Amino acid sequence: MTIRITQGMMYARALTDMQSGLYRYTQLQQEVASGRRINRPSDDPAAALRILPLRSDLRDLGQLSSNVSLARETLNTSASSLEDASSVMQRVRELTTQAANGTLSGSDRENIGAEVDQLLSQVLGIANSRRGDRYLFGGTANGAPPFSLDTVNGRTRPTYNGNRDSLNIDVAPGVSTALNVPGDSIFMQRDRGATTFSANGGANPTGAKPVSAGDTGVGYAALQVTFGGLTPDAPPTVSVGTGLQSVVGVTNFRFTSSPDTLSIGNGPAQPLPATDREFITADGNVITLSVTGVPTVATGTFTASADLSLDGGATTTNVTDFSNNSIAVNNSEDNSVLYVNTENLNSTGTDDVRYGGTFDVFTTLAELRNLLQNDAGLPDGTVRDLIGDLLPEVDGAHNAVLDGLRELGFRSSSMDVLQNRVEGLRISQTESLSLVQDTDIAASILELQRQDLSYQTALQVSARVLQTSLQGFLR
Amino acid sequence: MSFGFGMGAGLRALNAAQLGMRTAGNNVANANTPGYSRQRIELGSSMPFGAGGNLQLGTGVDVRGISRLIDEGLERRLQFQLGLVGSAELDEYRYRQIESIFGEPDQGLSTTFQDLFGSLDQLRTDPSDRALRGGLIQAGNSISQQFQLVSQRLGELGDSTFSEVNGLIRTVNQRTKAIADLNGQITSAEANGSQANDLRDTRSQHITEISKLLDTRAIERSSGSVDLLVGGNLVVAGNRSTDMRVGKNSEGNTQVLVGSNKSAAPIREGRIAALLQQETDGLPGFTSRIDDLARNTILEWNRLHSTGMPSSGPFQSLTAAYGAVDGDGDGQAGDELLSQAGFAFPVENGALYVSVTNEATGNMERTRIDIDPNTMSLDDFAAEVSNIENISATVDPTGRLRINADNGYGFDFSPRLDPNPDGGTFGGLNPTIGSQASGPYNLAGQTFPVSFDVTTGNAAAPVVTTVTLDASDFQQTSAATAAELAAAINNDLGSAGSASTVGGRLVLQSNQGGSTSELSIADSGGGTLVSNLSLSTAAATGRDLALNVEVEGSYTGTDNKQFTFVPESDGIIGQGGDLRVRVLDQEGALVTTLNVGREYEPGDQIDLGNGIRVSFGAGEISATDGQVFALDALNDSDTSDILVATGMNAFFLGSTAGDIEVNQSLLDNPDNLAAGLGSATGDAGNLARMVSLRDRNLTDLSSNTIEDFYADIVGDIGFETSAARTTLQAQDQLLAQLENDRASISGVNIDEEMVDMLKYQQSYEAAARFIKVAQEMTSILINLGR
Repeated sequence: MTIRITQGMMYARALTDMQSGLYRYTQLQQEVASGRRINRPSDDPAAALRILPLRSDLRDLGQLSSNVSLARETLNTSASSLEDASSVMQRVRELTTQAANGTLSGSDRENIGAEVDQLLSQVLGIANSRRGDRYLFGGTANGAPPFSLDTVNGRTRPTYNGNRDSLNIDVAPGVSTALNVPGDSIFMQRDRGATTFSANGGANPTGAKPVSAGDTGVGYAALQVTFGGLTPDAPPTVSVGTGLQSVVGVTNFRFTSSPDTLSIGNGPAQPLPATDREFITADGNVITLSVTGVPTVATGTFTASADLSLDGGATTTNVTDFSNNSIAVNNSEDNSVLYVNTENLNSTGTDDVRYGGTFDVFTTLAELRNLLQNDAGLPDGTVRDLIGDLLPEVDGAHNAVLDGLRELGFRSSSMDVLQNRVEGLRISQTESLSLVQDTDIAASILELQRQDLSYQTALQVSARVLQTSLQGFLR
Repeated sequence: MSFGFGMGAGLRALNAAQLGMRTAGNNVANANTPGYSRQRIELGSSMPFGAGGNLQLGTGVDVRGISRLIDEGLERRLQFQLGLVGSAELDEYRYRQIESIFGEPDQGLSTTFQDLFGSLDQLRTDPSDRALRGGLIQAGNSISQQFQLVSQRLGELGDSTFSEVNGLIRTVNQRTKAIADLNGQITSAEANGSQANDLRDTRSQHITEISKLLDTRAIERSSGSVDLLVGGNLVVAGNRSTDMRVGKNSEGNTQVLVGSNKSAAPIREGRIAALLQQETDGLPGFTSRIDDLARNTILEWNRLHSTGMPSSGPFQSLTAAYGAVDGDGDGQAGDELLSQAGFAFPVENGALYVSVTNEATGNMERTRIDIDPNTMSLDDFAAEVSNIENISATVDPTGRLRINADNGYGFDFSPRLDPNPDGGTFGGLNPTIGSQASGPYNLAGQTFPVSFDVTTGNAAAPVVTTVTLDASDFQQTSAATAAELAAAINNDLGSAGSASTVGGRLVLQSNQGGSTSELSIADSGGGTLVSNLSLSTAAATGRDLALNVEVEGSYTGTDNKQFTFVPESDGIIGQGGDLRVRVLDQEGALVTTLNVGREYEPGDQIDLGNGIRVSFGAGEISATDGQVFALDALNDSDTSDILVATGMNAFFLGSTAGDIEVNQSLLDNPDNLAAGLGSATGDAGNLARMVSLRDRNLTDLSSNTIEDFYADIVGDIGFETSAARTTLQAQDQLLAQLENDRASISGVNIDEEMVDMLKYQQSYEAAARFIKVAQEMTSILINLGR
């Protein structure tokens, strides 16, 4: 038996066919019009799961790309600042060589000194340079000028107010770079060497020696040694008199009776009793004593204590032990410490302290300026020698700047490589995303045409079939 | 032969043809009526009549009845299929709605998450830029709004279930009533044995419509009436129907109530079943997952934000966003245990590190507060905070915690490194004697009370103080902690000196500084206490110059650690040939050894690893004296989550997708964004932590990252929607097949009816003809007699 067909069945069939044809048609139309194969997750759930992370990655790459540009710009700005600093240092070197030359007069040097002062403030400006309102060389403390110069007791001391933290930003997946080089490694780079004592470039007057380890001072300093009084081991008849005192340390004494005399440090014997009399040692140091008579002990040693100060007497370290090879002397001006070997300390006076290798850009320029202006009134030769001594320091400071420049240049050029890599990744990710979510336009249009055709065919066939009825033929 | 012969048969034939014609007409008229089954007249030859002899004469045709052409089994399958299609339709519709609520992949949460993390990356390039800060806060704001929108619209969809089911049940009730009425009519119409075809069609149409909505069982009685059961309860019995009702169960889910006792009926098929299923399983699944996502986003984000530092530096004052709830109703909110204080995020057993900074000197003091939510109340916590110098905490009448700093001080909860971790016990001015070992100390061998002498002052004028320890000073004398010892010693030592705990070690210090100052410790009258405590009996001298320890960097380790620094020998920093400092962790294990001898220049930074750099200034250190300092290296400065729970310095407020919002104080002032861990302008330490949150797999999100968890939700919606669509298409096809079958059996074919009409027309004409012939024959017969 054949299946019985009714008109209702035919209508329903035609309707369903047309509906599904239309659905596929509009679906394709949307795909072509939007350019997207997936307009909602249910279009292809598996692909939708891949789209979200791909998009997220792509966006990240966009951010990374702009980060790389930012990093390159910032690094280049810093580099050009350092180039300026480098040419300043170049000029300073020329001036230093010129000033160390014997042909210049005091006033010539003063003129150079004025220029060095200019260059100092210029280099300070460079060290405090900004990009936008962020200081480039302050680490993460970049909201305020990182460097400041203070003058204490005639010495210019730089202070670094920044920190050594990096401003890190991501520049490629898994790669981050620092936007900055901490300024102290460039402008306050120090490679501490030996500490030396000298008196105006000449002989060492006090006999104190540097330990040259553990010191924290910078540039030049003055170590003052003053008489600190007699320690209890002095002979009972001897007391400190009023007058010149230049003897410190362990000194021998020798009493003679009838005539009653006393000689100090193998110096000439002086008659006793004595009031406020100067005793001169064989070294030529003086101690003023009052002596009442000859004690039972005729010969021996006594100790004159020494007060050591780095800050002009503001804080003193009293030394009574002259066998100690490491006495810490504190400088209250910059909180630095100098270790002094007192074994040969025998005279009061001032030792000029030079902390080797600690001459950073600012200290070097400031010391150079001071020498050129020669406020201390040093003799020409000494000034020239000292300026000559500063030449390696100028080079050292310049090298620190060049090191920073090299570091920045290296980082900046690696940004170029990274930029290419990020862009490459961006393109490949865009392709992947496009592959997943975008319509294959050619295929879709072809399919659209096919659906169009089959839809129209369905319409025509339905129209024909539905017209057909026995009614039409019964006349 | 009689006159009447043949007339009766003709009449019956006319009648039958007429009825046939009318049936065909009725069929044609109802060709498009839904549920209509085509009818057919049943004809039979009428009783023959004995014409004498062995002849039997036919008497024409009898109309036996008008029957419906219907396959009962097919009808039942069709009804069942309609139920399946009804639920598939609803599922598909609902999932399409859910899909559009999430708006992926173009305008959904995925984009806002990308915005949030994107603006984080952008802000890292310049953490103090107000515009970029505002951008991040706005991104937080849009993510909150998006969460709220999704949550709200999912909620509306869920809430609509009740009213939708209610509406559907009302139509079911109308139909059951109609069925009951039809039952009555059919029973009385069929009492005489006839078939009430059209009434039956109408009735089965009602049953079919009900089947689309819910699954019912129809039982036909011999009387012709149909009883209808829903979930085992009669809703139609004969000509009586019982209305169903809609209610909610204790969980707030909609249910269909049926029968006189209004019990909940299990609905398994049809649109209503799908609605109920969506309400209990489908929607809540998505709602709870989106809530989980929001909750964990808030939790993790706030954990980081609350322990960060705003651009203005440490806080002067901070108020909690959430108050403790007065659970026992005594009018006091602060006395509830933290575990029962009604916080949306639980307080865990852990610790909070509070740092107090002196604004003038920049010195920082860090205090650890141990928190056990099962023994500590908010009041207790406030008291612990107030114990810290220069800050105080109160709980206001609404249960909100408020912390204030004294003038010139600020506080924060940042895990940053203490830049000056030494409190003067490592080469400091005052003579120090510290224990060579960390506590607890075994004092079980001592006969309490036991005492020792502490000599302070200087060699010329020593001051001797006797310190006596009682067994009651300790919880356990076999494990006397450094803190217990310090407290007991401070009681007796008075102003002569002080005892403290540094890195778990007991440390004693004279109150007098300088190189002439001395400190020594000796057992009173001999004994072993001092050696039990690992304290040196040699005199320690003070210094004229304090050693300066500085720490920079930020800790990158994953665990909270405390490093203890102890000298290996005695010497001067930068001078001793072989001077070293040991770094121990909190377990006492050696982490590294730092060379600070001749090779070391004071002030140089030594990299300790994990992002920590430490530098030692000029000065002298002593191993003999037991000098020590400790450095907290924190990854998480609030393991207790108390800041998150109380909403201190929060980024997001709320705890679900429905109530998430950005803290108003951030919207008011972008400077309040905690971008850094320290107060340096360019400090982006906290942003770096937040960025790393993006790649972190969170346990509470089934070990997914935030974005992956969300992508899973979107993927599931996609799969469910596409599955629902496929199901619907399959069920529709099955239905179409069944309807096709039904139409094949019960549908009207116009051509067929046309043929029938022609047939009956011709049969009518023939019958009329027959009557005419019979009449003519009769009249011939009559005329025979004329």
